[in-house]
Amino acid sequence: MAYLSMGESHRRITDYLNRFADAINYQDGDSLARLFSVSSDSPSLLSLADALNVFQDANRLIKQSEKFSQFGEVVAPFFRSLQCYRLGNLVDAYGAFEKASNAFIQEFRNWESGWALEALYVIAYEIRVLAERADRELASNGKSPEKLKGAGSFLMKVFGVLAGSCDLQGKGPKRVGALYVTCQLFKIYFKLGTVNLCRSVIRSIETARIFDFEEFPIRDKVTYMYYTGRLEVLNENFPAADQKLSYALTHCCLSKEANIRMILKYLIPVKLSIGILPKKQLLENYDLVEYNNIVEALKRGDLRLLRSALQENEDQFLRSGVYLVLEKLELQVYQRLLKKIYIIQKQKDPSKAHQVKLEVIVKALKWLEIEMDLDEVECIVAILIYKNLMKGYFAHKSKVVVLSKQDPFPKLNGKPVAS
Amino acid sequence: MAAEHKPTTEDVKMDLFEDDDEFEEFDINQDWDNKVEVKEATQQWEDDWDDDDVNDDFSLQLRRELENNVVKS
Repeated sequence: MAYLSMGESHRRITDYLNRFADAINYQDGDSLARLFSVSSDSPSLLSLADALNVFQDANRLIKQSEKFSQFGEVVAPFFRSLQCYRLGNLVDAYGAFEKASNAFIQEFRNWESGWALEALYVIAYEIRVLAERADRELASNGKSPEKLKGAGSFLMKVFGVLAGSCDLQGKGPKRVGALYVTCQLFKIYFKLGTVNLCRSVIRSIETARIFDFEEFPIRDKVTYMYYTGRLEVLNENFPAADQKLSYALTHCCLSKEANIRMILKYLIPVKLSIGILPKKQLLENYDLVEYNNIVEALKRGDLRLLRSALQENEDQFLRSGVYLVLEKLELQVYQRLLKKIYIIQKQKDPSKAHQVKLEVIVKALKWLEIEMDLDEVECIVAILIYKNLMKGYFAHKSKVVVLSKQDPFPKLNGKPVAS
Repeated sequence: MAAEHKPTTEDVKMDLFEDDDEFEEFDINQDWDNKVEVKEATQQWEDDWDDDDVNDDFSLQLRRELENNVVKS
């Protein structure tokens, strides 16, 4: 750090305090927000941090004047947080930031309008990001990481403040901030692997009378639909996952390509499972080529290709939790293969096409290097019939499956395979 | 909390809290109104692929295979 005089440090600190007081007095949420964004590493906050580390007694400056001291409970711990952050002590930076945030929430609760929502958003974001970094520090020192969990509890409290901010008509101006806080909570719960904790906030957002989903900012609606869509994938509720992720996709800001890609990472397996394929162009545009062979396997009825494509990208699919969804595509690939066998037979001899010998299926699978005996094939066919992917019955003795003359291979048409 | 797999201890610790697919933050003041472009960019799905066409390479090979190995009745 270059030499910094006491005088200059003093000037920087009082300058910050003046800007802080002004932002509150003029109800300037935008400026106030910027004064809190520790992790943005903005030049003005970094130079303030240096000044604090030189001056060391900022509390005296805060207490000196009524103009500053009224926000002392927010600013003093905030200064401490910034100092620690600058020195790379993230655990203490988090602790002090949480203290400042708590004091800020007390003030925020008493302000009638929602002018300070932007500052609240920054605090909600910072508390999560600082907690993550603090946990990394704790973990690398062999201590138990617990700050992110703490940040989750803090944000639940913030959610409560926003959800409870009703006026006599039952609707308060701060309620529109609740979805942003919800999305920060989702990020925490997904990271901690405690996604079941999402449930109570979702219930509140979707059923509480004070919330009207359409009223929330678009960026929060998109994020919310992305995370709730992922939850529906985990629950294997594909129609709901399709609806939520499609909403996120069509409403996402186009310039946020990384986010569009993440939505597609989950939406594609969902669409596949209801019989809808992504076009090649889509996979290429968003670099999702790991799905290329899976799509091709469905089109062909190529079981071997499906299995190898799953194996090749196993780690990746397991990590994002879509592996089980993709594995279930096997039944659709069997359906497609049997349909092709049926069509080929029909072209050769239409009168016998609806009788498919199990032996023929065994042969086709053998060609794909999948060894199965007649009993195993019979079992697969029975499942296809049971799941309504095939219509027909067995002539057990002659080892033949007799297909229905009408629509022997019903299409999914956007519905999931029967369970 | 324990990690499932066991690479070096350092790795385990860094892996403890990971969500590979964490949604990127939109700017606080970001607002947008998607019209036609997003539909074109992202609405690229096929639902009529399950056709009766058996002239692709895979089907042709399948046909050959089935005809080469005539099944006795």
